[in-house]
Amino acid sequence: MATLINTLWQGLWYKGGVGNWSYQFHRLAGLGTLLFLAIHIVDTAFVFFAPELYKHAMEIYRHPVFMLGEIALVAGVLYHGMNGLKIIVFDFWPHLWNHKNEQRANILIYVATFLAWLPAAFIMGSSLYKHSILPLLGGK
Amino acid sequence: MTVMTSTPSVRKVSVPKTWDTRMWQFMRWSGVLLIPLAWGHILIKDVVIGVHDIDLEYVRREWATWYSFWRIYDAALLAFAFAHGMNGLRHVANDFIHNENTKRVVSWAIWIAWFVISAIGATAIIGGVR
Repeated sequence: MATLINTLWQGLWYKGGVGNWSYQFHRLAGLGTLLFLAIHIVDTAFVFFAPELYKHAMEIYRHPVFMLGEIALVAGVLYHGMNGLKIIVFDFWPHLWNHKNEQRANILIYVATFLAWLPAAFIMGSSLYKHSILPLLGGK
Repeated sequence: MTVMTSTPSVRKVSVPKTWDTRMWQFMRWSGVLLIPLAWGHILIKDVVIGVHDIDLEYVRREWATWYSFWRIYDAALLAFAFAHGMNGLRHVANDFIHNENTKRVVSWAIWIAWFVISAIGATAIIGGVR
């Protein structure tokens, strides 16, 4: 058990610092997106296999907790894409890579992800407010 | 891996074309492709349209118009995003599995899951809304 925990822990933390955090975020966002995607492929396939169930699936998508999850998913997909581009750029143009550029790129990606996510989160949040919170307050 | 030339700054190596080399390349190329595909998909469905306006009728209309452009778009998304994700999962799993046999079993399990779910998705895209 101690060995297992040690193995898991060492698989997560190799050096610490910004780069290690980016690596963690990249994996977390990737795995989270994959989990969503696997479910999403199957529920979308209901349009062909079980149209009645598709309606039920869409109701789940419209649940406020699910909508919050989607707002988080957008952050994950934006981050994973930008960080992925960074990995590709440094892999294919290795002369651009050095520790300082890596650090700069990582910080830039945190900021860019946040800035790109803000308007999406605002629009999705407005939809959540309009469809799930406003009716509770007696509005329309 | 053979080292061909070695200078202090740039090291050139020749990489054998193994399965994992190809998957490494696939992760890069599919990654670039998924920027417009996945971001576009989320922007349209989650931000512009929103889950409250998506239903069977919406999917039926979307897949029927523009010479099936969106059907092809969804097929590309299914093909590239899910394979990219499942191979990523394989990479993560391999980091934590140190037994070669277990690694092989887990890799096969991941590819079988990839195939089954992809087949389900592909069938629905080809079959269309019922």
